Parts: sequence; structure tokens; C-alpha cells
Amino acid sequence: MNLDYDFMLETLWLALPGILVTFEIALVASAAAVPVGLVLGIIRARRVPLLSQLARVYISFIRGTPLILQIFLVYNSFPSILAVVFARLGVEYNIFNLNPVVYAFIVFSISETAVLAEVFRAAITTVDKSQLEAAYSVGMTAFQGYRRIVIPQAMSAALPSLCNSITDLIKATSLAFTMSVMEITAIAKKQGAMKLSFIEAYLDIFLLYCILIFTVEKVLKILEKRARAYQQA
Amino acid sequence: MNPRFIFETFLKLLPYLTVTLEYVSLSLLFGTLLGFLAAAAKLGRNRPLRWLANAYTTILRCTPSVVLLFLVFFILPAVMRNYLRINVDAWPALFFVVVTFTLFLGASQSEVMRGAYLAVDRGQFEAGVSVGMTEWQSFRRVVLPQAFFFALPNLTNTVIYLFKEGSLAFTIGVVDIMGKAYLVNATNFGLKALDVYLALALIYWPLSVFFEWLGRLLERRFGYTQVKPEAGKTAESVRGRGRSSIRGVRA
Repeated sequence: MNLDYDFMLETLWLALPGILVTFEIALVASAAAVPVGLVLGIIRARRVPLLSQLARVYISFIRGTPLILQIFLVYNSFPSILAVVFARLGVEYNIFNLNPVVYAFIVFSISETAVLAEVFRAAITTVDKSQLEAAYSVGMTAFQGYRRIVIPQAMSAALPSLCNSITDLIKATSLAFTMSVMEITAIAKKQGAMKLSFIEAYLDIFLLYCILIFTVEKVLKILEKRARAYQQA
Repeated sequence: MNPRFIFETFLKLLPYLTVTLEYVSLSLLFGTLLGFLAAAAKLGRNRPLRWLANAYTTILRCTPSVVLLFLVFFILPAVMRNYLRINVDAWPALFFVVVTFTLFLGASQSEVMRGAYLAVDRGQFEAGVSVGMTEWQSFRRVVLPQAFFFALPNLTNTVIYLFKEGSLAFTIGVVDIMGKAYLVNATNFGLKALDVYLALALIYWPLSVFFEWLGRLLERRFGYTQVKPEAGKTAESVRGRGRSSIRGVRA
């Protein structure tokens, strides 16, 4: 088996900027998912009537279907939905010129929100009920009690799962190529198809992801350790 | 949206569930075997083997499913042709799916099994040996059954993971429920894409919920009742293991 090392190196360089797109998607999805997921997590933990049930159906659907299916659902329905919205708002814009990365933002935000909602729900239930009652007893409102007492404690319980879900998210972005988003996988795949050197191209993708995710995992571990430093004392 | 078309597509996709269940069960079987070997290597005394097993787990954990699937699909035939003189060109694509997920499962299961093995007190093994069992007998009859119950909750997650991630098999041309949906969509020139994928969701969603329910049932049936509270711990903290582990971290 002879590998074309020149081609491999060349493709590696070409695919490298794809990491930025990967981070971009992960960052936007996390930025959307952390606040919304937190709110949904509180709704679920408090069992707010109706809203809790709705959140449950949403979370169950996202957790119960493959990500690729969610991608296809969004990718095939959102353009027409957005077209209607744009028409209503009177925006003159051809929806089919939209950069597909927007759809990636939408899909990964939707799915990451559901994942984080579960993480936060579990974390909030680990905080003893008496903590919130104590907050009430000193005259805090529910919002103050959550913001100052419950959420900080829940966060430290949520941290490991949160870090895991972020690495999972970065791994999942490799599916963005199905929406023709030009990230690591898509770039290398295209190069491989052009030269019919699939093995080299896929080895590149494999290598890049391995290093990327390994690094992210290690960095998150260090951050997590620092954030929880007070507990080790 | 056309409910009639969704229902018709649903019925069209349903028979292909057998293909999905085929790679789920095969990957589960081989993955568990591989996981067992890797866990044994990690717990064993052989240093190079231990290192190898750990490296394997780390690498696989850092690889997205679709990337490994492509890699296996393109590299394995070349490797087998060049080094083993086996031509796999005519082999079904399902083979590559099973290889891929066996590799993934081997990595994750080895961690689960290692944890489950370590969760069983060493004294159990020693007690077995002390009544005259061989080391293997003590492992098989005393340690393994207990370790199994620790590993049980992960089994459900693994099945659901395989069921969902396996949908990526369509990217290499396997016609399972996902692959069939992709084909149906193509024959309609993508005009009814939303309906087709909604019909597909109607298969995935209820089945995932069913697997989860089944897992909870098994857990309640076999769950932690096997674990006797250790000295100094109350039965309460053992029963609520999920909570107590978080409490343990906080303490």
C-alpha cells in the first residue's frame, strides 16, 4: 500500500482552516444552548406545568432521533420557512444564496440545547431543596435565589457533563458536510474525490480530528480542574 | 405536509428496520467481545498491552463516527488486499459498518467493564479463592456476575447509541431505514423531503423511547439490589447511586 504523502500534506494544509468553521459552529451552538438549556433545565427541575411537558417532548425527540435526521429535517424545511419569514418582513433576499453554515448553526443549536437542558436539569436536582428555601427565608426572590444560590452550586455539578457535551458537539460537527458546509471533513473529502485518493484524504481528517478533540478535551479538563479548585481544599 | 404520504413512507421504511437491528446486534456482540479483551489488557500486568489498550481507547474517543466509518470503508479493503490477499470488493457494506461500530464499542465498553470490575470489592475474589476455587472460577462465578450488574445501565445507552449512530451507514450505501429514506427522498426529487424524514423520525423516536423504557425496567429488575451497603455507608446512599456519586464528589 503506497500512500501519496505529498498529497496528504497538501490536503492537510487545505483542510486546516476548516477547524475554524468547526469552532465557529461549536461556539455559536454553545452560545445559544447554554442560556436556553439552563432555562429549560430549571423548567424541568421545577416541573413548571405545561412548559415542562413541552420541554420534555422536545428533549425526548432530540435524544431519540439521530443527529443526521435532524440535519435533514432542518436542511429541508428551514429554507422554505425562512423564505416565508423573509417575505413577511419584506426582506429582498434570495434564501438559496444563504451560506449553509447558517443551517448548521440552527441544527447544532437545537440539538445542543436539548442535551444541555438534561445536563442542567440533573445538576439542579443535585442541589438540595433547602438551599432555595434558605434563599427565600432571607427574602430573596425566586430569580435571586436561583441566580445567587442554586445555579452556582449546580454549575459545579454540571461541569464534567458540560465539558463532555462540548467535545461531543465538536465531534458531531463533522456531519456538517452533509449540508455542504466547508469544514474539515468537507474540504478533505472534496480533495480526495478530485484526486481519487480517498485513503489519504480520510487519514487527514482522522488525524486532524484526533489531535483537535484530544487537545480540546485536555484543555477542558484543565479548566474544569481550576474551576473546581476550591473543592479539593 | 401530507399525512397520507408520511404514513405510506412509514410503511415503506419499516421492513428495513431488520437491517438496522442487524448491525446493532452484530456490533453489540463483537464490540462487547473486543471491549472485554481491551478491559482485560488494561487490568492486566503486561505493560505494552496495557499501553496499547489505553492508546486505542483514547484515539477512538477522539474520532467522530462518520470519520471512522469512511476510514474503515476506504482503508480496510486496501489493507486486506495488500497484506492479507483477500478481496473484499464484493462484500456487503454492512460489514464495514459492523467493523466501525465494533471498534467504537470495544473502546467504550472496555472502560465500562474496567469500571464495573473495579467496583466489585477485591475481597469477593479473595473469598472465592479461599474456598478453593481457581482464580478463573472465582472470577467467573463471583466477580463477573456482580460486575455485570454494575455495567447494566450502560447497556441501554449503548444500544440507543448504536441505533442512532448507525444511521450514518447510509453514507457508505447501506440501505437501512435511514438509507431507504434517503432513496425514497431521491426518487421524489427531494420535493417531499420533509415528509420522508418525518416518517423516518416516527420510527426512530418511539423505538428510542422504548429502548430507554426497557433499560429502566431491566435496571429496576436487576439493579442495585445486588449491592450490599458497605460498612459506614447507609443503604440509602447505595440505592441512589447516581446522586451519591455526585454527592461524593462534592464532599
